[in-house]
Amino acid sequence: MMATLATTAPVVVDRLTKTYGATSAVTDLSFTLSAGSITGFLGPNGAGKSTTLRVLLGLAAPTSGTALVFGRPYAALPSPSAVVGAILESNDFHPARSGRAHLRMLALAAGIGWDRVEEVLAQVDLTGAAQRPVRTYSLGMRQRLGLAAASLGRPSLLVLDEPANGLDPAGVRWLRDALTDFAASGGTVLLSSHILAEVSKTVDRVLIVHRGRLLVDAAIDEFSDSSDLEATYLRLTAEVTS
Amino acid sequence: MIAQLRSEVYKWLTTRTHIGVLVSMVVLIMAAVLVHAFGLPVARLQTDDQQYGILLDVGANIGALFSALLGALCITSEFRTGTIRPTVLVRPRRPRVFAAKVVCSLAAGAIAGVLAAGSAVAGGWLGLTIRGVSVQVATGEVGRLLVGALVGGALWAALGLAVGAIARSQVPTVVGLVVWLLFVENLLAGDLPTAHQYTPGGLAQALAGSTRDAVLTSVPLAATLLLAYAAAGALLGAAALSRRDVS
Repeated sequence: MMATLATTAPVVVDRLTKTYGATSAVTDLSFTLSAGSITGFLGPNGAGKSTTLRVLLGLAAPTSGTALVFGRPYAALPSPSAVVGAILESNDFHPARSGRAHLRMLALAAGIGWDRVEEVLAQVDLTGAAQRPVRTYSLGMRQRLGLAAASLGRPSLLVLDEPANGLDPAGVRWLRDALTDFAASGGTVLLSSHILAEVSKTVDRVLIVHRGRLLVDAAIDEFSDSSDLEATYLRLTAEVTS
Repeated sequence: MIAQLRSEVYKWLTTRTHIGVLVSMVVLIMAAVLVHAFGLPVARLQTDDQQYGILLDVGANIGALFSALLGALCITSEFRTGTIRPTVLVRPRRPRVFAAKVVCSLAAGAIAGVLAAGSAVAGGWLGLTIRGVSVQVATGEVGRLLVGALVGGALWAALGLAVGAIARSQVPTVVGLVVWLLFVENLLAGDLPTAHQYTPGGLAQALAGSTRDAVLTSVPLAATLLLAYAAAGALLGAAALSRRDVS
């Protein structure tokens, strides 16, 4: 598995199509992520970003095409938590369960020791609140708990859907530094976000999708600044809409 | 499978929902039995059959219902709170996740069944004794009621889990189970007793030793049929969890 991880692209999406009845959520979408990169996955609401991430993570089946993680469908990974960490929703917790219990529950299923739970709680600065029910957490605390859950298995790929939602400026800065450090150590990040200014500070590359189709696949250096990225994003999504 | 099973057990132990369900069940059963014990004329409380019928009607039937609810909550609460996503991300082989939930539900249903029958017996003994009516139900009959409620509760929990996996939404699942067990099966028992003999609720009553016309007299046959219902439900539930997208 280690050889596979080292030699295979972390994510390969090839001609992916996902339809719900007569509605096409994703159409013929293709992209590849290279190891050590942070890729912004951008698009308006309903563009197909979350659907793509769900197919990539095995939560939804593709109508056609493939979405592979280190050369395999997600469900075929022998130890998924050791390969991929994901945040899909900021509320995927039982409100009455404590943050620590949520992580322990996942650690038990993944065969990870509870000492690792304490490590990730400390990393996201939630040790002091770990015994409280999640319903008492702020949105930012829930995002950090989600990041802790995603980090439990020491994965080499992070798939994050709007991870900065609800974070205060310090939290956003902490997230940016954490993702940058993660990528610098060889990790790969696929980051869906609406906050274009923050994305421009964090990512190496952007994918812009709209109505399920890929409109842009470019290095962040191709945009002069966040205003240029925003202008391009708005122009492209408006053009397709009109 | 073992790792997922440990995780499922931990889930049960780290929320109070299940304890609340069990406490509600005990309170409801005790209240129902005491209402019967104090509300019915003494002439309808004197024989062994009369007393056992009340214990069975209240204990086994309500036990089956609450066992089904526990099984259903095992999966519908995951869909309601969204924890189904991290659960299947950690363990993407969903039939194994479902199998672990079946094992947990069987255990929880068995506990609920025994607790329900035990509460009915305790409430019945208390009510009859206070009212000065001699308790006629023999120890062996109490044992039969407890064992029948244990097996019936376990299998009904698996059925509840299956219904929850198919419906996913908590409220329709709970309403559906309540309507089926409390209304549809009662209607069938009165109007179509032959059909009621083969319903899951009728089979659970047979396991607990009911002697009604609308209930099978063969306990092994009733156990086999209820097991078949539970197994078929588990297969359908596993397929529903595995084949449908988790949104």
